[in-house]
Amino acid sequence: MEGLFFNVNYGYVEGVVRGYKSGLLSSNQYVNLTQCDNLEDLKLQLSSTDYGNFLSTYSGVLSTSVIQENLSKKLYQQFQYLKANSSGKLTKFLDYISYGYMIDNVSLMITGTLHERDRSEILSKCHPLGWFDTLPTLSIATDIESLYNTVLIDTPLAPFFKNCLTAEDLDDLNIEIIRNRLYKNYLESFVEFITTEFTNPDQEIMLRLLNFEADKRVINISLNSLNNPDLTVENKLSLLPNYGKLYPTYHGELSQVDDFEQLKLIVENVPEYKDIFTEGDSANGGAKNLEDWFYLLEMQFCKNAFTQQFTLSTVWAWLRSKEQEIRNVTWIAECIAQNQKNRIDNYISVY
Amino acid sequence: MSSHTESMTKRSLIATIADEDSVTGLLLAGVGQVSTEVGKETNFLTVIPEKTTVEQIEEAFDRFTSTRDDIAILLINQHLADLIRFKVDSYTNAFPAILEIPSKDHPYDPSKDSILKKVRRLFGE
Amino acid sequence: MSGAGNREQVFPTRMTLGLMKGKLKGAQQGHSLLKRKSEALTQRFRDITQRIDDAKKKMGRVMQIAAFSLAEVQYATGDNIGYQVQESVQKARFQVKTKQENVSGVYLPTFESHINEEINDFKFTGLGRGGQQVQKAKSVYTRAVETLVELASLQTAFIILDEVIKVTNRRVNAIEHVIIPRTENTISYINSELDELDREEFYRLKKVQEKKQEAVAAAELEEKEKRDAEAEKLALSESKDNSKPKTEEEIQKAVEKLDLKAQGEDDSDMLKENEDDVIF
Repeated sequence: MEGLFFNVNYGYVEGVVRGYKSGLLSSNQYVNLTQCDNLEDLKLQLSSTDYGNFLSTYSGVLSTSVIQENLSKKLYQQFQYLKANSSGKLTKFLDYISYGYMIDNVSLMITGTLHERDRSEILSKCHPLGWFDTLPTLSIATDIESLYNTVLIDTPLAPFFKNCLTAEDLDDLNIEIIRNRLYKNYLESFVEFITTEFTNPDQEIMLRLLNFEADKRVINISLNSLNNPDLTVENKLSLLPNYGKLYPTYHGELSQVDDFEQLKLIVENVPEYKDIFTEGDSANGGAKNLEDWFYLLEMQFCKNAFTQQFTLSTVWAWLRSKEQEIRNVTWIAECIAQNQKNRIDNYISVY
Repeated sequence: MSSHTESMTKRSLIATIADEDSVTGLLLAGVGQVSTEVGKETNFLTVIPEKTTVEQIEEAFDRFTSTRDDIAILLINQHLADLIRFKVDSYTNAFPAILEIPSKDHPYDPSKDSILKKVRRLFGE
Repeated sequence: MSGAGNREQVFPTRMTLGLMKGKLKGAQQGHSLLKRKSEALTQRFRDITQRIDDAKKKMGRVMQIAAFSLAEVQYATGDNIGYQVQESVQKARFQVKTKQENVSGVYLPTFESHINEEINDFKFTGLGRGGQQVQKAKSVYTRAVETLVELASLQTAFIILDEVIKVTNRRVNAIEHVIIPRTENTISYINSELDELDREEFYRLKKVQEKKQEAVAAAELEEKEKRDAEAEKLALSESKDNSKPKTEEEIQKAVEKLDLKAQGEDDSDMLKENEDDVIF
């Protein structure tokens, strides 16, 4: 039944997204890209893909950052197009997706404002997907108190902000902690939104993806804060999103581990993540490291998301896949530019 | 000689004039120092193409080489040194030492390095 | 002895000759010392140059690896951490210490990496994502900067040595091509002037002796005439006095003595001159 009415509201968008999805680079195309000898070749190869002549207007010497920038532009355009054609809960869903980027932007603005940096300089570094109209006003604040108020009033992030941070925190805490705390709140509220608004199979898929996102963060934070005495156990716990496969059983333990082996033992209790560290051991210099594993897992989840019909989760899956694709192409471009061909096959391709 | 020695031991910082990627990497290594002292705010200059002017680079070069007395080594991207080549080539002081480093997008070209140029001239290669 | 004009303005006396000889000796000693210093420095210099060449090539590679590690960070974090890193900077963790090394009396500064492990401005960078890559990039870059510091030491030594060698060589050349020939010229000038004086003196003495001999001859002649006259007188009046011939003998002896003395003085001068000729 739901399929019948789904298309009334979201059929067009889903169709577009599936169209975008089939435009994602295939393994064959990646192989072609890795054969390139220089960035000009790469540009030529990319022009035969969905990216078309995305670099045709650019004259001058190609660099990886230019390529990355232009690839991302394409993504932003597509996302904006989806947003413009969305309605109802889809709009809300897309909003939630962009909140994640807003967190990055807002923390960027907070850092910049605290350090009294040039506003236009910071704004140019903001992520376009996390752009909102009142973002520039953040830099008007002159002291911590007014900055805090501005964030509460002028940003869509207020719900994530107000319960976990006070004005003093802005000054005292490291911006990374603020960012991660915001992210935790954001993920939790995202899950809430999904559970209340979405129906199966959409809900199931999205929750799986978000659970994974949460666990990824939990493992990363635990791993990266090993041997960091500045981060107390309570503080660490406050950064971990309260759901996911590791929640609640392992969070307490994870926040207390102080070496890699312990962490590994705990994470391996979850069957899905059993393999994460097996090859991740050789993270320093090894072919596969933790981050690669996460990306690979995520891509597999995303690929599976497309197998269901009449779902909105395809939007999320597509966005993530596209981001991964940009990372892949950037990586390949980087390897070509820096003559490190032996590592060029490190990209992740599932389509 | 003694005053020379004294001024030398005061020099302990590594200054940087480089593009964003190089600066990021060098800062990760921990060379950056930020302070509130006037004239010594930062010891690095991030050069953003088409935004940072040659004058700004020159100014930073002068600041790091002559104005500040706590810089021991100045690292500068070779392609940026090319922009102010006359200044780099005519710089003869031993302190601070100027080092031309490659950047990500501009591999190292030994034939442009002002020190290596001197070396080659001396040995007639 | 060309360039006779290139000499110091001195009076050609024996004392200046002595001074000049001392000066020449000093110049020669200084020359050989400086030459040896310059050789030692040049050896060091060549060594350093070789090492700079190698180090610069090594730097190219090291920096490439480092730049690549940053690419890994970018891949892992998905966005550019440059801004975050720049904003987190507080205090330099990586500093250098300057030390001095003595090479043939030249103080060469060397830089030494000094890492303060207590300072870590990037504890939280990449906390949520890519923290491991950030740490890896950090250590790779730390190694890269260590290489750079090493290179900076070499380069500073290069610049200072280059300068010192130039100065030393200039001094060596100045002594070899200006001071020594000039002193030699002066010495030979003084010698020639002294010789000239000696010859004049010799001639003068000879002249004096000639005159004296003439005078003696004249006196003898007169004496003879006198004696003849007296002999005539004696013949006229025999054995009147015996003292006269004795006086005559005495005079003869005195004249001979004078002659000898003049001759002796000349000889000793000649000897001196010979000695000088041996020296130069």
